[in-house]
Amino acid sequence: MSEGIRDKVAVVGVGCCQFGENWDQSPSDMIVDAAYEAYQDAGIEDPQRQIDAVFTGSLYSQKGPHECSDALKLWKPVTMVSNYCATGTDAFRCGVMSIACGLYETVLVVGYDKPKDRGVSGPSVMMNQVRDLPQTPAGWFALCAATYFEKYGAGREELAKIAVKNHHNGTLAPKSFLKREITVKDVLEARLISWPFGLYDCAAQTDGAAAAVLTRADRARSYRADPVLVKAVTVHAGPNPQKDPGNDFLSWKPTTWAAAEAYRQAGISDPRAEIDVAQLHDCFTLTELLSYEDLGFCEKGSAKEHIASGAFELGGELPVNTDGGLKTFGHPTGATGVRMIYENVLQLQGRAGERQVKDARLALSHNIGGHPTACGIAILGRE
Amino acid sequence: MAGIASYGVYVPPTRLAFATIGGKPPKEGEVGPERSVAWNDEDAITMGVAAGTECLRGFDRAGVDAVFFASTTQPFREKQAAALVAKALGLRRDVATADHAGSLRAGLAALRAGFDAVAAGSARRVLVIAADCRLAAPGSGLERSFGDGAAAFLLADADPIARFEGGFAVADELVDLWRSERDRFVHSWEERFVLQEGYTPYLLEAVRGLLERSGAAVGNFAKVALFAPDERSHAGAARALRIDRERLVDPLFGRLGNTGAAFAPMLLVSALENARPGERLLVAGTGDGADALGLRATEHVEKLEPRRGLAWHLARRRPVRSYERYLKARGLDAREWEAGGDPGLSATIHFREREEDIALTGQRCRRCGAHQFPRQRVCESCFAKDDFELVRLADKTGRVVTYTFDFFFPTPDPPTIVAVVEVEGARLHMQLVDAAPQQARIGLPVEFRFRRIHQVGGRPNYYWKAVPVPGGETR
Repeated sequence: MSEGIRDKVAVVGVGCCQFGENWDQSPSDMIVDAAYEAYQDAGIEDPQRQIDAVFTGSLYSQKGPHECSDALKLWKPVTMVSNYCATGTDAFRCGVMSIACGLYETVLVVGYDKPKDRGVSGPSVMMNQVRDLPQTPAGWFALCAATYFEKYGAGREELAKIAVKNHHNGTLAPKSFLKREITVKDVLEARLISWPFGLYDCAAQTDGAAAAVLTRADRARSYRADPVLVKAVTVHAGPNPQKDPGNDFLSWKPTTWAAAEAYRQAGISDPRAEIDVAQLHDCFTLTELLSYEDLGFCEKGSAKEHIASGAFELGGELPVNTDGGLKTFGHPTGATGVRMIYENVLQLQGRAGERQVKDARLALSHNIGGHPTACGIAILGRE
Repeated sequence: MAGIASYGVYVPPTRLAFATIGGKPPKEGEVGPERSVAWNDEDAITMGVAAGTECLRGFDRAGVDAVFFASTTQPFREKQAAALVAKALGLRRDVATADHAGSLRAGLAALRAGFDAVAAGSARRVLVIAADCRLAAPGSGLERSFGDGAAAFLLADADPIARFEGGFAVADELVDLWRSERDRFVHSWEERFVLQEGYTPYLLEAVRGLLERSGAAVGNFAKVALFAPDERSHAGAARALRIDRERLVDPLFGRLGNTGAAFAPMLLVSALENARPGERLLVAGTGDGADALGLRATEHVEKLEPRRGLAWHLARRRPVRSYERYLKARGLDAREWEAGGDPGLSATIHFREREEDIALTGQRCRRCGAHQFPRQRVCESCFAKDDFELVRLADKTGRVVTYTFDFFFPTPDPPTIVAVVEVEGARLHMQLVDAAPQQARIGLPVEFRFRRIHQVGGRPNYYWKAVPVPGGETR
């Protein structure tokens, strides 16, 4: 068994640009907004001297190293990571690993993407190969619905409540894109994208960038008095679930595998009781529902009871997507994982304003993407 | 009183010699009959910006209140050229813009509209630009007579170099030259008809109308600039109007070519370049009728800041080295898709996956017996490596494992039913067709049909789709 990563690396600064349809901003503009906020948060005044390396994550851009070094004018080692929707979490993981192994002392992590420069309102329809069709992300993630609904009796109303919750939370987050309360009726009556997903079951599509400054845990207090420690970080990949003969279409296996590893690293045995706040990958409402179960927040098949009881709402037992999630921030893919780190750090440091979870000590963030074939999980905690 | 305060002109440097059209490469130092050609990085808008830049030399760009852009070949059917040109020229944001299009008279019509705006006081300074870059069928007569170029005028009420003294217009319906929505090339009816019933009578009617209205004789005009489709018709019109050679502005056939909506305006620039104070100028052009405009040069005409004029542009020549290069520059060479464009799905991927895509072939693991799709190196179930036999799945019957209705996938009749289908234990992600959405259910028996799946790359691409087994029974 490996030595593990727990408590070796600290997050000492976070930043996040305004997410949205940033027509008048380039990737560089957003990277500068996020990185300089993170510098200021960490008290970094001379990045050229204080930052040893940059780890950047982007799915749409293939120019990450250039765009980051050019935007920030850093003459540093820059690595670009791309791993579907887990891209941001994977860039964070690479930064953590580089410090834990002793290669660098302080690094900058930047996740960003600019899908709104492509001229399409939704995600792309893949057109690379014959069999790539007919596939849209909504179509991939919807494939668990018919099976799950039939077996466990949940339906579109349960999904709608997740959208309503996240829309509400988004109204409390200054940097979210959508700031509008919606009702279950709104969700059920919206036009269908891919059954059972209507428009409100789908995450928004936005541009965004988020950043974090990481350093050695034993150096963290030289940056700020309330550093947040990395308890676990992992990214798991798996074969395509659509052709997997053993797939029951009741859960997404990459989350199950990644959760087991993350809890082992963090020493967590009862996630529902131990984790105080979580940011889950709500690219579609059903993805959040399945993740409650796949992450062990509740038993498989029982999510609808916990949705009904409000367990995952602000003020509930385990608040999920306190900032409104992908639903209201949108999903600039490379930015999302780092945006979740930003929210969790604010929560752990008591800086989350109206959406603050009381006395949050342990926070989890989760991404799942691809067909879905990739899952990233990061767990952060107070000292 | 409205007038012209400044002018500019642009001729692309490239020249196509008539001899080159005939297949002879140009000889060093030898200049024969030729036409101007906009190269592959030039069009009406870029040429218009170049002429506009010359025109605004020495003038405050913030003083321009309106831009009228005239062309029959602005690249967009919907989207304004004038706004783009205004942005390129760095004009004010609150500038009024409009395009004049559709007729060879568009340049003169835009000039008249500009004079009217200044005279009416709705704008103090109006920039009028005419540019054209017309395409004729390769090898046609029009290909030789056409040329590409642009002219620009800054119209103003104060201190003009030439005052506008009035115009006369004729409008009529005639199918002489045209290009419909779907045409690439300009078409012409029989040349003699075009001249005898179109160009010549229209031009004479407009010029004579202007003379009558202004009480002047043609001899009162020191410079007469006449649009014409070609050299012979130009000479014929001049003769009919009894215009002396020395008063006639050189139409530059064999050097520039007929630059469409920009032609009469460019000849007006030529007239202004050589005008003396007090001289009267006449410019006329045709196209679904005709326009004739009269102007008088003022004492300011000789004081205009020096600029790159028509002579400078005509002296700057870069002969096209072969007719094939001209065809490539204009996108007239034979090719199926634009270089750098989408060649479609990778032919090598299609080649590698033809067993799966075309024959719906999967595999059976020799070690554990599990079926899977597509072919792959490592078993999904027991992780055995390279130990499979091929199995054709196309003729078998499967069952729906799960499904969704995709309203986002582009199709003429949404939703697309998308299913995971199990056949012999293998899982296939595919469309369910020939079925109503209410037929979709977990466990639905399906068989497979070979269908077109999409047209990426401009060619039909094929794959298999699931259809409900007729009667619902498994064979």
